[in-house]
Amino acid sequence: MFVLLRHLARVRREAGLPRHSGARSLAIRHVDAGSCNACEHELAATAAPQYDLQRFGLDIVASPRHADVLLVTGPVTTRMRGALLAAYEAMPEPRRVAALGDCALGCGVLAAPRELAAPLEELLSVDIRIPGCPPSPEEIAKGILAGLDDC
Amino acid sequence: MSRPGAEVSEVAAPSWRRACADRVAEGARFCGAYASEPGGRRRWTALFAVGAETRAVWTPVSGAALPTLVDLIPAASWDEREAHDLYEIDFDGHEPLRPLAAHPEETDAWTVPVSGEGTYDVAVGPIHAGVIESGYFRFHVVGERILLVDPRLFHKHRGLERAAEGAAAEAGLPFAQRACGACAVANSVAYALACEAALGLSLPPEARRARTLLLELERLYNHLNDIAAICAGVGFAPGNMAFAALKERAQRLNRELTGHRFLFGSVAVGASAFQLSAVESDRAGGALREIGEDAALAWRELCFAASAQARLGGVGELSREDAARLGAVGPAARASGLAIDARSASPDLWYGSAFAPAGPPIASGDVAARLELRGAELVVTLAILDELLAEPIAPAAEAAGVGAAGPLGVARVESPRGETVCAVELVGGRLARVRLRTGSYANWPALARATAGNLLPDFPLINKSFELCYACVDR
Repeated sequence: MFVLLRHLARVRREAGLPRHSGARSLAIRHVDAGSCNACEHELAATAAPQYDLQRFGLDIVASPRHADVLLVTGPVTTRMRGALLAAYEAMPEPRRVAALGDCALGCGVLAAPRELAAPLEELLSVDIRIPGCPPSPEEIAKGILAGLDDC
Repeated sequence: MSRPGAEVSEVAAPSWRRACADRVAEGARFCGAYASEPGGRRRWTALFAVGAETRAVWTPVSGAALPTLVDLIPAASWDEREAHDLYEIDFDGHEPLRPLAAHPEETDAWTVPVSGEGTYDVAVGPIHAGVIESGYFRFHVVGERILLVDPRLFHKHRGLERAAEGAAAEAGLPFAQRACGACAVANSVAYALACEAALGLSLPPEARRARTLLLELERLYNHLNDIAAICAGVGFAPGNMAFAALKERAQRLNRELTGHRFLFGSVAVGASAFQLSAVESDRAGGALREIGEDAALAWRELCFAASAQARLGGVGELSREDAARLGAVGPAARASGLAIDARSASPDLWYGSAFAPAGPPIASGDVAARLELRGAELVVTLAILDELLAEPIAPAAEAAGVGAAGPLGVARVESPRGETVCAVELVGGRLARVRLRTGSYANWPALARATAGNLLPDFPLINKSFELCYACVDR
């Protein structure tokens, strides 16, 4: 285990991440509304030692009841519409909605129209837009942090 | 050599069961069944793997119900349920024919009825606590012990196969690729090979090398991810972080080589879309050797992390018999002692006939075996990559025609999760049907089986040890 911890320390050193300044925090609830799983991989990668999004006070929380931001991936399928809206309803106010990736933003979605509920923008008001197919972990971090500044 | 089309035999509905049972008796392995409607005539097709060949049997669908295969071939269960929901085909003898892609409101409509003293249900999903794909599980439990789990997937069903219909072969590729980000190369290569088989095309050796390189790059970052996920599943943070960091390095290399961290856009139909100069391949080979050395160090530490290892043995056991009966493929099947690997019979790729899949030291079929297997496969994958990168990848010549076009093209490709089967039917050069039956799709019933009898808090760990996608099941 000590070898792993040393390895981790080396990765952290090489990544040269800036120190977190200012006491802020943002709790994020992620909902996959029909993505291809690439956005999930990249969102999960923001917790990897090379990015360590938590240093900015950003946390993925288990319940929408603890969340400030609903982070949505995918084009919103008919079968995910209800769960997505229920998660939003469960959030305390003030709350924000972030669209992660081109599918959630409704760009060039590949799907049979009858399997999709509606573009995310028509279901919920979107405050933060992070384009990309998928957006890289850096782009996700940048997009969420920019959104945090506007909140 | 690519074979023009696939060998097809047509049988009438009354002979359907007999014809499929005969294939199995001859030693063929069932690898998918799907409905299609080329030229307005509906039919039901089953696919069987025999070495590198895939043989198809189909029967016309009239209004009447078709005889089921589930008692002869339990692995056909999800295929029949899907065809019932999406193509309105009834199966005589498949009782109850529970919905799979359709999502009725009433729980009783899709779950197995469980009753008895102290039994109750735990509902989980479709949204999960972490950053995970959407899917719903209904656990029937007594205390903490799981009696059985009913997975309800298809929450992410986007109708990709329907949406691709009518497109030209090349234009259909994005649909196969976007079915799943983490299996994008496997799905794209399976689709491209299926189209080429239907069109009677064969690609030159350079294109085969390029595709094999991409497939192994995909396996590398996925296996690193899956090892990290198992560490996370037992709360072993140092292991999780070490392998997550290695996965990140592998994906950065992907971007250097193809411009995309998930290798999107690097496969084409009837052509090669990827090349590497001598300098590039030399550099990539060096980067991979460094990743390999660090992965070997981290793996060794993981092997000696007693607290993590103690959580893996005897959890989520899948017996060899169940793996075979339920049609498991990929690491899940190999960890249970079934030596199924599409790479050992892939004449259209670079692997060669000498390829032998890695096996775990003990094929105990549990979480420990599935982890061990991935560790062993990492070594094989890195060796294949090293060999492929010893020379540059030249731009490939045009595909050559090797035979007449057929009504059906089928290809089987080993994804990080197992054999992915793509069937393509072309009518007048346009897609009449695409069916993508991924390794994840084949393995979900086996995962549900391996879960039964375990503790509820162990499910996330068992789930991570299979690490199946939802996106390429749901499509």
